[in-house]
Amino acid sequence: MNLLEIKGLSKRFGGFRALSGIDLNVRQGAVHGIIGPNGSGKSTLFNMISGVYLPEPGSQIVFNGTDITGKPSHEIARLGVARTFQMLRIFEGMSVIENMMVGHHGLTGYSPLAAVFGVKSVRSEERRVRAEMMELLNFIGLADYAEMPAGEMSGGQRRLLALGRAMAAKPKLLMLDEPGAGLSPTNVDILLDTVRALQQRFGLTVIIIEHILKLVMDTCETVSVLEHGEKIAEGTPAEISADHRVIEAYLGREMKDEEVRDFLRSA
Amino acid sequence: MHPVLPWLGGIAVLSFLPLITRTAYDQYLLNVIAINVVLAVGLNIVKGFAGQVTVGHVAVMAIGAYASAVFSVHLGLPFWLALPAAMAVCAGVGLLVGIPALRLEGAYLALATLGLAESVRIVISGTEWLGAAMGFEGIPPPHIGGFVMETHFRYYFVVMPIAVMGIYISFAILRSDMGRAFKAIREDQLAAAASGVHVAKFKLIAFVLSALYAGCAGSLKAHMAPGYLNPNDYSLQEMVTLLLMVIFGGIGHIWGAVIGAIAVTIINDLTQDYYTYRMAIFGGVIVLTVMYMPRGIGGMIEDFWVRKRFAALRAATKARQAAP
Repeated sequence: MNLLEIKGLSKRFGGFRALSGIDLNVRQGAVHGIIGPNGSGKSTLFNMISGVYLPEPGSQIVFNGTDITGKPSHEIARLGVARTFQMLRIFEGMSVIENMMVGHHGLTGYSPLAAVFGVKSVRSEERRVRAEMMELLNFIGLADYAEMPAGEMSGGQRRLLALGRAMAAKPKLLMLDEPGAGLSPTNVDILLDTVRALQQRFGLTVIIIEHILKLVMDTCETVSVLEHGEKIAEGTPAEISADHRVIEAYLGREMKDEEVRDFLRSA
Repeated sequence: MHPVLPWLGGIAVLSFLPLITRTAYDQYLLNVIAINVVLAVGLNIVKGFAGQVTVGHVAVMAIGAYASAVFSVHLGLPFWLALPAAMAVCAGVGLLVGIPALRLEGAYLALATLGLAESVRIVISGTEWLGAAMGFEGIPPPHIGGFVMETHFRYYFVVMPIAVMGIYISFAILRSDMGRAFKAIREDQLAAAASGVHVAKFKLIAFVLSALYAGCAGSLKAHMAPGYLNPNDYSLQEMVTLLLMVIFGGIGHIWGAVIGAIAVTIINDLTQDYYTYRMAIFGGVIVLTVMYMPRGIGGMIEDFWVRKRFAALRAATKARQAAP
């Protein structure tokens, strides 16, 4: 069963075609990788799915049986689509736990008026949210930093927090935009372990955009390759590795089979 | 324990404050401070928490003051009805001011709200039934039965509890889920929306809340002895003074706004004689605060506290990273 079905997704910015007629299906429970050179439309694809950009007529995005084409971001988020950003965009002026609690906003159920009147249920709801978020922070290893301003965290911690904030919404689909960018190999491993652990524990479906080929090849069951806003290949990591067009997209020339294998082994 | 109880205790303690004042003028000053606290705490919601740059806040206060005056003088409503009615009018105004904020950011929003601020003052100055440039006279003080709060001493027991409750409500809102949504919008709208926050809705709510505070402050000002309003009290200079309260006190800190309101009101009063230079000094203080103490007094206190609390944690992390 497909959790996400995209048909004919297109987007142009002025004269530039960022995406032209992308079809993409993501199976429930899969870890789906999206690779492609810079400017191939990977981030645009995420921004379209999460409602940042309006798709062009003829595009269709169906998530979990609901047509979410053209819906605003917050509604898509509430349906169970969470994402991280390439530039992270954590709330630097708020504490770590507050970042998490904003992530849980859609599931926090009380009215502001009840908060003003200091109703008991508000306090118990706040306690529940805080406790659940602490548990999640514990899971990603940031519990010690709960009260720290997020702006004071190191790069690796920020990446984990961005992941945690996305998870705080208890999503069905988690979209990671270059989760490994700027991380040392050790930290990439930590992050990947965390993603895998989260995926198994919560039965998530994950889409990962990544430059680090090794990360995608190790983690994903299915990989789609974008180039110039078009999907040029799709398949298992092994199939993708054997696809000459993919190698050309990355290296810009034809390679012999042995060369391809060497390249992928080294990547 | 209900969270409002400590605040009621605060009201009880502050009730003794007028006893140590010597003159009616000191009592008048206490009332002005209380009104400015309401105003600054309200501005802090939209500016400090939701991060929307508005300089039209005095105009909303003016509308609240004049609405309250009209309701009580022309319609004969008692203060206790004129106050909520004026606040309701201001909530509507806040909604209108908030709409451009859905499309404009930063300096552009500031310009739009600035335009509103000045036009309100000019319209009032030219409207006969609002007293025009001569001012609106004869606004009655509040009364309970035959007990009239016409002295500053008595009026204190109207404004002070309202100001304290205003601070309480601000805390209750800003520590709730909605307060976190406001801050998320201030920090990063795209990420807030991706977290499920309805950005447009909460922006408008912030403007409306803040306008409710401004309307309340305006109405309190209108009914305070001598019951007189002048459009020139809602000029850009007043806006600068108000901004100073929030910026100096610390944007995004409720206590900062309170401290800022108290400090600036007192300084404003002490420098009456140097009126001509005051705006230059205030402007200078704003620039210096923004340059060297961008998060104001509240931010400084918080930084100190955070640094102390996390010094150990950070040292431990560093040690772990340094270890091979």
